[in-house]
Amino acid sequence: MNRFKKGHISVAVVCAVLGFMISLQFRISMEQKASLPYQRLEELSSRLLDVERERDKLQEKLSALEEAAEKGEANSLSDQKASEILRQRAGLVAMEGPGVIVLIDDSRLKSKAGDNQNLYIIHDDDLLRVVNELRAAGAEVISINGQRIIATSEIRCAGPTLSVNNVRSAPPYEIHAIGDAATLENALKMRGGVMETLAVWGIQLEIQASENVEVPAYKGTTQYQYAKPAGGGAS
Amino acid sequence: MISAVCGLIIGLVLGAFCPLIIPVAYSKLFSVALLACLDSVFGGYRSVLEDKFDNTIFISGFFTNALLAAFLVYVGDHLSIDLYYVALLTFGFRIFQNLAIIRRYFLKKH
Repeated sequence: MNRFKKGHISVAVVCAVLGFMISLQFRISMEQKASLPYQRLEELSSRLLDVERERDKLQEKLSALEEAAEKGEANSLSDQKASEILRQRAGLVAMEGPGVIVLIDDSRLKSKAGDNQNLYIIHDDDLLRVVNELRAAGAEVISINGQRIIATSEIRCAGPTLSVNNVRSAPPYEIHAIGDAATLENALKMRGGVMETLAVWGIQLEIQASENVEVPAYKGTTQYQYAKPAGGGAS
Repeated sequence: MISAVCGLIIGLVLGAFCPLIIPVAYSKLFSVALLACLDSVFGGYRSVLEDKFDNTIFISGFFTNALLAAFLVYVGDHLSIDLYYVALLTFGFRIFQNLAIIRRYFLKKH
């Protein structure tokens, strides 16, 4: 009788274990099924909201422009505005806004015997890749060590230093970029991206997202010595 | 029989409310272990009907089958031999076989 009872208890325990496993597996597979479509739904609805907001904004803009056009006094005002926009685009105005500050410094790793030492220091192409990536991610204005990057800016090695706008600076380099901070940061941290490649050589790259990044104006000359506007319709 | 059903229900309830989660990496092992457990239980029920039920064999079989199946699948994963499907096939086959035998016993009885 005693043996029989003992057997009963152990059978019950075994069945309890089985039941536990079954319901656990059931719950997990339900969760797995539920999670993916749900995430997708949420993403789509947030995107829809964004687009709707954008549409409303554009509609407001359109109605404002139509009003201004009717009044006919848009001309003189838009001229002033246009020149201001051009100055901003040319990099002659200091700008500020949300964005990221990227700090880059030479590698702290010791080069191994027989290794090329050049791989462990920052080169112009490393910085070019970073700047290129930032631009691809929608950075609006960029500066390197206080030098605003404009249409004619160069980034090249000058001995152990780096020359931007013909001004030389030594590492560490500080790149300021204004744009959507999260996008800029993610673009650099992308898998297989700039940050990962540079990290192989131990080059230190630090990204700080900031609400207020300042980018100075271009301080060099803007006069063209050789180029002249081609005659004709140019005004 | 009653104790077995009670244990099953208790286990189901515990599993439903336990906050435990199996990581995705181990879900394969867990499902194989579950299948092995199911096989053992059906085998045990069959032996009850055949009057050959032995508690020690049943319990040791239950746990060793499950652990061994999970272990083999784990090792197979690391050796890139997909023992997962082999385990599924074997246990699935045995479960169906046991079910067929159980069914035959019931048919004979009535």
